[in-house]
Amino acid sequence: MKALVVSQRLSDAGELVAVARRFGEPAILAFQESALKVEEVAAYGHRVYRVRSDRPEALYRAAASLYESLNPKVIVGPSVKNVKDAMALLAGSLDIPLITEVVELSDGGSVLTYKRGFMSERVTMTAEVPYPAIALLNPKIVKPAEKAGRGEVVDFDVGDLKVNVVGVRAKELSGVKLEEAEVVVGVGRGFKSREDLNLAFELAKILGAQVGGTRPIATDFKWLPEDAWIGISGKRIAPKLYIAVGVSGAPQHMSGVSGSKVIVAVNKDKSAPIFIQADYGVVADLYKFLPILTSKLREKLPRRA
Amino acid sequence: MGRDIAVLVKASLNPEVVRQGAEGAYDIDYTPLKISDVDRNALEEAARLKSILGGRVYSITVLTWGPSKARDKDLKLAVQEALAKVADEAYVVVDDSIIPGDPIVTSNVIVGVLKSRGLKPALILAGEASVDESTSQVPGRVAAKLGYSYVGYVRRILEVRENSVVVERDVEEYVETLEAPLPAVLSVTQEINEPRPPTLIQIRMASKKPLHVLSLAGIGLNVKPKRLIKEMRVVTVFRKQVVLEEANLEKAAEKLIEYLDKEGVLRI
Ligand SMILES: Cc1cc2nc3c(=O)[nH]c(=O)nc-3n(C[C@H](O)[C@H](O)[C@H](O)COP(=O)(O)OP(=O)(O)OC[C@H]3O[C@@H](n4cnc5c(N)ncnc54)[C@H](O)[C@@H]3O)c2cc1C
Ligand SMILES: Nc1ncnc2c1ncn2[C@@H]1O[C@H](COP(=O)(O)O)[C@@H](O)[C@H]1O
Repeated sequence: MKALVVSQRLSDAGELVAVARRFGEPAILAFQESALKVEEVAAYGHRVYRVRSDRPEALYRAAASLYESLNPKVIVGPSVKNVKDAMALLAGSLDIPLITEVVELSDGGSVLTYKRGFMSERVTMTAEVPYPAIALLNPKIVKPAEKAGRGEVVDFDVGDLKVNVVGVRAKELSGVKLEEAEVVVGVGRGFKSREDLNLAFELAKILGAQVGGTRPIATDFKWLPEDAWIGISGKRIAPKLYIAVGVSGAPQHMSGVSGSKVIVAVNKDKSAPIFIQADYGVVADLYKFLPILTSKLREKLPRRA
Repeated sequence: MGRDIAVLVKASLNPEVVRQGAEGAYDIDYTPLKISDVDRNALEEAARLKSILGGRVYSITVLTWGPSKARDKDLKLAVQEALAKVADEAYVVVDDSIIPGDPIVTSNVIVGVLKSRGLKPALILAGEASVDESTSQVPGRVAAKLGYSYVGYVRRILEVRENSVVVERDVEEYVETLEAPLPAVLSVTQEINEPRPPTLIQIRMASKKPLHVLSLAGIGLNVKPKRLIKEMRVVTVFRKQVVLEEANLEKAAEKLIEYLDKEGVLRI
């Protein structure tokens, strides 16, 4: 085996297998959704090791043991929290390179060459590391592999774990696919209360837009569901129009909206960093400006009113 | 086992200050270092837990970006903040042979500091991601090397017991409550607390606390970065940067609508 794929979801398996095949015949370590639907993962035609646990520690142990027996040159996986934590443990115990959020990966002969974002994705870094190495990829950077046959499925037991699960609570999610929206209104800490977000929802209604926000709006204040936070650690959006209201323009937020065609900023502080990252900026108090903008748009776009 | 807390504090390149050098190359020398944002949350949490655990708190910092002479001031500022906020003493490793650093070197050096000084903290607190590299791997690496238990993305520390710690961990779609045996490494998220800046008195006290500046030889280590950086380029996105600063907001709204109409993004 030349490569090991760590697959969490069916949606990541095809892309990871495609990248892994560049390095030789892969084996697949399947957990979470990919372990539940293991037959679909086996349809890529490679041997699948199934781990029936979502614990990073379990995944770490399974990967460590497969690393010993298969001796892969490269381990690839998705850049998600459970895999990142598991692979940090594996990389630490073996002292081998681990690279995350990779957007390009190639075999540079005796080294692995890769590209990833740096400085909140305001810079791209191209670098090389020696083999063996672990690379966690961003989604949608390659075409998924063709399915080819049926691989053998082997169950993998990892034994007792050190960290115990006491409870699990699902997050409140809206299910809205912000990444597919054509117009997005983004709200930030310039809003003083949850009720005030109505100003943004009214604007969004006229524009046919979805509403998202900055991380603290979703996590600290809980004014929006957690899948509505935009940025490097949340959703990456690419609408035709993004209107950021009461958002300062922190690099971690702006990296999530860099694919927008037109960016508008409404902020009362003239020196807010968002103004140099926007196409059109309005220096104004959102409480005064949004009602005016919404009513003018209502006149202009009457069918939405 | 001890009752001490170690906090990993990185002096990161400040991503708010990105300047383009010749031909789109990233001008790293121009970028100042600052304490990595989430490490402030780790320090704040250490301050809260110090009285519960009853031991000492020390910070550990490995200089990643150089040359070390040019970074001295920024580095000291970051470490002073750790000392002012909570740390009883600070360990800083400065060595041009490991610059620019990589996570393999950084984690080996952190472990080297602990081992060479005979430090055995019950808890090691770190940030979920550094603001320059954001690879979220240094804390996990340190845990694996020390044989400590590890929980990443901790949103809340609910309870510190005699031999374990109970925490909430943030995953993409859910939040789980976990009990991890001590000693443990925890990486914390921004949500865990609201970091308060140190007070003037704390800042004054900080200058009297021990700050140990160590070299690689000083901790008996011989490691080299494995990563070779080939190129760093500034991502340029052209934005028109038209700013409307009208006293009359009616006018501002009309102008904005006109612009957006011209862009063809209004009637979607
Ligand atoms: C590792 C890491 C990951 C992160 N990931 C993300 C991420 O994915 N997404 C994200 O969003 N953030 C993320 N952050 C947080 C980010 O750094 C910022 O803290 C956050 O984006 C700031 O949110 P904000 O703009 O809502 O708030 P603030 O920065 O507080 O800005 C509020 C703005 O509102 C303006 N304002 C105030 N009152 C008014 C008014 N009446 N009218 C008009 N304007 C007003 C102010 O001038 C200010 O500019 C991350 C941080 C770290 C360290
Ligand atoms: N050079 C360093 N010195 C001290 N701590 C570090 C260093 N690099 C990373 N860390 C710690 O590890 C966390 C995650 O960083 P990273 O793995 O780079 O995303 C940071 O928030 C710090 O707590």
